[in-house]
Amino acid sequence: MSQRQPPKVDGGKISRRDFLKLLAAAGTVMTFTPFVEWGKFLPNPRESNEERSKVVLPDGSQANVNTFKVNHAEAVVYPLSEDPVLNEEAFRTWQFIRLPPELGGEKNDATAFRMYSMVCLHLWCLWKYWPEDGRKRGECPCHGSMYDPLTGEAFAGPASLQAPPSNVLPSLDLEVDDEGNIWIKPPNWSPSGNGVVGYGRFLA
Amino acid sequence: MGVSSLSRDNSLVRLFKWIYAGFDRTIFMGLKFTIPTKFVSPLGFLGMLTFVVFIILGITGAFLMLWYEPILDRAWDSVEKINDTIPYGFHMRNIHYHASNAMVMLAILHMYYQFFSGRYKIRNEMLWVTGVLLGVLTILEAFTGYDIIFSERAELAISIAASLTNSIPILGPDMMNAFFGSGFHDFVLRFYAFHVFFLPIVLLGLMVVHFPRFLVFDVPMVMAVAGAIMLTGGVFPIDLGLKFDPNVPPGITVPEWYLTGLYAFLRSAFDKFTTGVAWPGLFIFTLLIMPFIDKYKKFSWKDRPIISALGITSIAQIIVTTYWGFYIDPDRTKSLLERLMIDPIFLYTVMVLLVPLSFGFTYLMIKIAKNAEANAKKQKPSEKNPIQLPAKWLYILFVALIGFQVYLNIAAYYAVLDGMKNYSLFLIGILMLVFAGMFHLYRYGRGLSKSNVEIVTTNKRKFIFPSIGGSKRKSLEDRSTSMDPSKIGPTEDNPLLSSTEKKDIPVPEIGTHKGGKSSPMYSKDTSPTDTRNADIDLPENSVSKTKINKQSQTSNLDQNVRSFPYDKLNDGQKRDDAFVETTRDGDKSTPVR
Ligand code: HEM
Ligand code: FES
Repeated sequence: MSQRQPPKVDGGKISRRDFLKLLAAAGTVMTFTPFVEWGKFLPNPRESNEERSKVVLPDGSQANVNTFKVNHAEAVVYPLSEDPVLNEEAFRTWQFIRLPPELGGEKNDATAFRMYSMVCLHLWCLWKYWPEDGRKRGECPCHGSMYDPLTGEAFAGPASLQAPPSNVLPSLDLEVDDEGNIWIKPPNWSPSGNGVVGYGRFLA
Repeated sequence: MGVSSLSRDNSLVRLFKWIYAGFDRTIFMGLKFTIPTKFVSPLGFLGMLTFVVFIILGITGAFLMLWYEPILDRAWDSVEKINDTIPYGFHMRNIHYHASNAMVMLAILHMYYQFFSGRYKIRNEMLWVTGVLLGVLTILEAFTGYDIIFSERAELAISIAASLTNSIPILGPDMMNAFFGSGFHDFVLRFYAFHVFFLPIVLLGLMVVHFPRFLVFDVPMVMAVAGAIMLTGGVFPIDLGLKFDPNVPPGITVPEWYLTGLYAFLRSAFDKFTTGVAWPGLFIFTLLIMPFIDKYKKFSWKDRPIISALGITSIAQIIVTTYWGFYIDPDRTKSLLERLMIDPIFLYTVMVLLVPLSFGFTYLMIKIAKNAEANAKKQKPSEKNPIQLPAKWLYILFVALIGFQVYLNIAAYYAVLDGMKNYSLFLIGILMLVFAGMFHLYRYGRGLSKSNVEIVTTNKRKFIFPSIGGSKRKSLEDRSTSMDPSKIGPTEDNPLLSSTEKKDIPVPEIGTHKGGKSSPMYSKDTSPTDTRNADIDLPENSVSKTKINKQSQTSNLDQNVRSFPYDKLNDGQKRDDAFVETTRDGDKSTPVR
């Protein structure tokens, strides 16, 4: 290790050499600055649709308030892609739940429904909703995190111990049209909006 | 090119020599490869073995790339196809898999050997630091590898990795987006890119910095490692796991053995960042700064009690947490969470208790070792007579082994025909081991036939390397000219002696060439100012040059020098090692010729 001399600051004057070095350093920084932005090459941001989209059930039909059973859940793909491979993506699977009667599941409007990302906030297993009496909650098969179907908040297991926003499941906003068909409103993929899949959401 | 054709070389040999001489102008000049002519403990070249396994991985991996498809729904199926239908796909996959385990294992052993032998002191900090990075990247490489099969277990591993990345404060989420993309489809593709390109390239780059210029390539040991990998593949063929299906909850899976230690911490359900990122980070950081906090002047683990105790403690912790990570309560009536949870208080208490235990144990070991050393000094070293194998038996054994190889070849072929792929892999593994034995026999026989040229004595600890390096040795003497070799009483443990007499070591030779010193090709000296080897000097803080001079007057060396790990000199100096071994074994005055 060579011992470095402290920079000479005699009377606030910088020597010509030091000034040159400074310029060279500044030039180097400027030359490579644009490449910082190139970091955007790496992430793959989720596409945000501007329009509402259908809740497509596994049988291919659109979910309807008049036919979907109370206290029942299905796995729904969103955003649905033309590419069947992408539709197998766990990050696109959502649990579409009609709440049990005691939580208001019998109403025929959007408040009876919930749609949460199925990716467990702990270590990304896929949890699902269990309608049995005494359960009526989302349960993760891996380490037993449990989710409140009303809010998507983890109330037991490792996911519940995580700091916000990682203790609340991302959720999608729903609306119902005149025929009772259920639609997904355009999402805002941020922790304070609809949440980030696999990461979480701030409870409003 | 300075290659004069010798009548006894045929044209093929001349071609090889011409090519070899051509390296004179390339970067390889700086490297010195030595092939030991006698058995040498593999501890000293574990790094080389790691590298060889890395090459095996590169080759088998390249072949796997021909069939593997890094696509979400096809990854697992393509691996299944490789495993079940592609001819020899089973072999490739199993070699690749078991070699990955071997590489991680060898890298860890290599690190601990460097650690306990204190080699990082001999101006090897650079090698140590790059080594730690290599170790970390090796584990990452293996990790990305087993993830792209995309079985249930792989999926779990990926999600653990991603959520750990995510848990890093501030930068975490962005890093996760950058490295993992969004969703499993991206993961498979990206992990594939990392696994086959980014990480290996970085590994190779680091290896360039990491390798000392003097390397040992021990053919039998290399073949034995390769054979062991295949043999293990034959006995414990790797399964495919279950294909990951996002709608089927995965069963309980445990990661690969080199990650279960980490997994134990994760299962304590403590904060993710602390357990999964901060603890391992701290461990790696401690390793990184080891050479800078190790202020002992000596090298042997016996003389560095605190550092050795640290090492033993780390090993104990690794073993305990690794085991703990594997252990899952078999009681199926309990809930999953209960079975998986590790009580953090229990875990951390055990870990803390282990520390004094390990320190105590190390202290004891050092005591015992010192005693043994003292006892050994009192007794005269007994002359060991190695087994002498008469030439006739050598040939018979050789022929028998070749016969066995023929048998193994046929058997392996028929095993494949009969669909017994794992059995054939097993047999090929044995074949490799037989080759390892044969090579050893060969060099043994070769040693017998030219004993007065190369092999110094019959003591089995002595060996000389015919170096394939191109130049004569330069020695310490060039720099410390005031040192008069004649004044040095040849002592045991005297490295200086070896340094001064290096020039007596026969000029390297290879293969069929029998002339020893006289080959024009090898005696072509590099310029006298060549200092390539001149820095193969003793560690600065322990033996300064002035000290050397002083010490050279008396043969009574300072303890520092005495404990100098000659055979572990970084810059390889394997030939020196050979020499040192000679002097050390009490064969005081026989110079190596
Ligand atoms: C990717 C894995 C690695 C490879 C391929 C590798 C390769 C090598 C090779 C070929 C050598 C020459 C001596 C020998 O063969 O043993 C060496 C030496 C060394 N390695 Fe590694 N190594 C790896 C990992 C590590 C790790 C994890 C450490 C420790 C943190 C480490 C520390 C050292 C040190 C200190 C030396 C100098 C030994 C000497 O010259 O005496 N290496 N390595
Ligand atoms: S992944 Fe769901 S609880 Fe661990």
